[in-house]
Amino acid sequence: MSQPNLPELRVRGRWPPPEGPRAAIVGSRRPSPYGEAVAEQLALDLARAGVVVVSGLALGVDAAAHRGALNAGGVTVAVMGTGVDVIYPSAHSVLAEAIVSGGGALVSQFADGTAPRRHNFPARNYTMAALADVVVVVEAGEGSGALITAEAALDLHKEVMAVPGSVFSPLSVGTHGLIRDGAGLVQNARDVLAALHVGGEVLDDPLATPASIGITLRAERDGILSHLSDVLALNAAEIARKLQLPIAEVLGRLTALELDGAVKRQQGGFVRALRRGKDRA
Amino acid sequence: MFGCVDSCVLAGLDVRRVRVEADISRGSQVEFSLVGLASTTVKEARARVRSAVRNSGLEFPTTRLTVNLAPAELRKEGTALDLPIAIAIVLARAKRPAPARSAFLGELALDGSVRHVDGVLVAARGLRELGYETIFVPADDAIEATLAGDLEVIPCESLIAVVKHLLESEPIPVAAPHSGGGASECPIDHDLVEVHGQEEAKRALEVAAAGGHHLLLSGPPGAGKTMLARCLPGILPPLELGEALDVAQVRSLLGELPRDRPLDWARPFRAPHHGVSTAGLIGGGSRLAVPGEISRANHGVLFLDELAEFQTPVLQALRQPIESGWITITRSGGSVTYPARFTLVAATNPCPCGWSGDSVRACRCTPGAVDTYHRRLSGPLLDRIDIQVSVRRVPLDTLASEPRGESSAAVRDRVVAARERQLARQGCLNAQLKPPRLRHLAALGPASRRTLERWSAQRGMSARAFHRAWRVARTAADLDGAEGIDEHHVLEALGFRLQDVAA
Repeated sequence: MSQPNLPELRVRGRWPPPEGPRAAIVGSRRPSPYGEAVAEQLALDLARAGVVVVSGLALGVDAAAHRGALNAGGVTVAVMGTGVDVIYPSAHSVLAEAIVSGGGALVSQFADGTAPRRHNFPARNYTMAALADVVVVVEAGEGSGALITAEAALDLHKEVMAVPGSVFSPLSVGTHGLIRDGAGLVQNARDVLAALHVGGEVLDDPLATPASIGITLRAERDGILSHLSDVLALNAAEIARKLQLPIAEVLGRLTALELDGAVKRQQGGFVRALRRGKDRA
Repeated sequence: MFGCVDSCVLAGLDVRRVRVEADISRGSQVEFSLVGLASTTVKEARARVRSAVRNSGLEFPTTRLTVNLAPAELRKEGTALDLPIAIAIVLARAKRPAPARSAFLGELALDGSVRHVDGVLVAARGLRELGYETIFVPADDAIEATLAGDLEVIPCESLIAVVKHLLESEPIPVAAPHSGGGASECPIDHDLVEVHGQEEAKRALEVAAAGGHHLLLSGPPGAGKTMLARCLPGILPPLELGEALDVAQVRSLLGELPRDRPLDWARPFRAPHHGVSTAGLIGGGSRLAVPGEISRANHGVLFLDELAEFQTPVLQALRQPIESGWITITRSGGSVTYPARFTLVAATNPCPCGWSGDSVRACRCTPGAVDTYHRRLSGPLLDRIDIQVSVRRVPLDTLASEPRGESSAAVRDRVVAARERQLARQGCLNAQLKPPRLRHLAALGPASRRTLERWSAQRGMSARAFHRAWRVARTAADLDGAEGIDEHHVLEALGFRLQDVAA
């Protein structure tokens, strides 16, 4: 197939983005905590390596990808299914502003004022694939829009990669199907960088326990932190049991860590350490 | 011929004295008129009284009979005036005065026996305060009446027995005062020892019990939210005598008091279904409001499962009683005030399908639906719930390996100690401290204050949320037996809130 003829784009922010490879990170609008963490971590590590992160400003994986890139101080592009002046979902207006002020852009092939319409999103997905050099799918159930993006990427002869998930999770059906059909397996940002032929900058293994989170903590609180991973969520009761500490004390310490920005509380009462790109670099 | 006895009618928990006057005048006309703003049930008393008097072997006046219920401007409801009307007529015929400082209550059956009426305990307490020394009540309700204390209670089996007591010196023995049993008779229905794991929620339950804080449990279906809520009464101290009487009064009004064991020392636990109406929850009725679920839960626990499924107006109606501890309801018959000092335990799923955030099952809700769901939950009611905690689902296969908890009795000892500290210091529980007293009685050290302010600035906390965390921190300190609020108390308090709900 020939070079795609990109539709004319309306833009808010800096366009075109800085020279360099571009990776689209797409996936479910309702990811598991795992999927959200992977998307954010991948985007963070890719952005730090100078990759422009492209995504769709949707809920879930999209938002996590934009956030990760912004946390690394990187450039990220949101390809929208609405007019560039219509932020959808509206809860992402702050995120959209951050994308623009972070040197990235909001782009859309639709006229200003276009409201969200179901049939516009597949076209947007095609544009996203066209703008990226590689499409990484993080958690996609059967029939997910992310799979449309992946198909578009194949049509355009772009590389498609996928992050594996739990075999028990319905959100892994789409991604595992892609891997079975030959999509590249993504375990960390290095895999994506290799596909982009970018030299693997020093990257941490996202699955490793964080040795340091780049901020100084009072010594007594580090005990808890070493038990947390940034992918697998643990709850306070489990930590209390491991450390043989009273639950009241663990709750207090976790809150202190949260106050310091070192852990994050998720739905279901789980906590995990969150590496903050800006602090760590 | 004139006779007159005293009785009363109830307006909620208020007792209004009613004087029943009977006048038998000469004349050939047979007439029985009942005046004094009697409602239909009271008007029907004429038929019951006539039959009961005749069937008791007494003579019913065959001339003009007028019964007046004074004060005439007070509307009278209920069947408790049957007995006093009959006695007034009998006394009028006998030309005898009623015994001094005594009052009568009871419904009459056609054969002359005396039937149960609702609210005898309320009436007895009110009459005692009005200066009465003896009350005649249905035999069924005698034990209940003795709870009022300091009152000679005459149990009435039948009209003829009462007449003989009054006129023929065949006295009815006075009912023996009810011992009331004791708090030791209060078994724990649901023991925390049966709850595996869930340490976080258990701790939240303990803090809620200690400080009288309202509690929100959020978690997927089958996580044990209902079980946890049912454990709360067991870790609260048993009712004190005054509280037990308050509880019994509301039940008495509703006619729900068990005859043989009117005083219950266990904390009430009410769990209305989410289809409940506003009137059912806070109280209501056509003429005078009857107590609702919140008043039945007085001094106990009100458990609202599936909080988001309740109709919004129903939840909004909870706001005022949650703050004040009582509810005033005005209906066409006047306004009544009922107590409603309860601990609210609300439970909710994290999203409409319930599985958001679960480690195994995926949530099937659309993001919009989750958003709508949360919006229904948040707002003014949630703002009044001090402690919010996530409840994790324990998978069945690991359930057995989860540690068992402490027994409710052990937790209760700590709760009681913490409550005693609060009562000694400020005369009320921490949850009821208003901000000025909070500042005065629960001063924060510099480190604690800094932590609370830092969090508040970081999260854009409302003033209400700020004080909420402060109160919970005071309770955590009380559970510790600490004089001052340390930083770790503040941190624990800040941990008791949900991630998506604005603090």
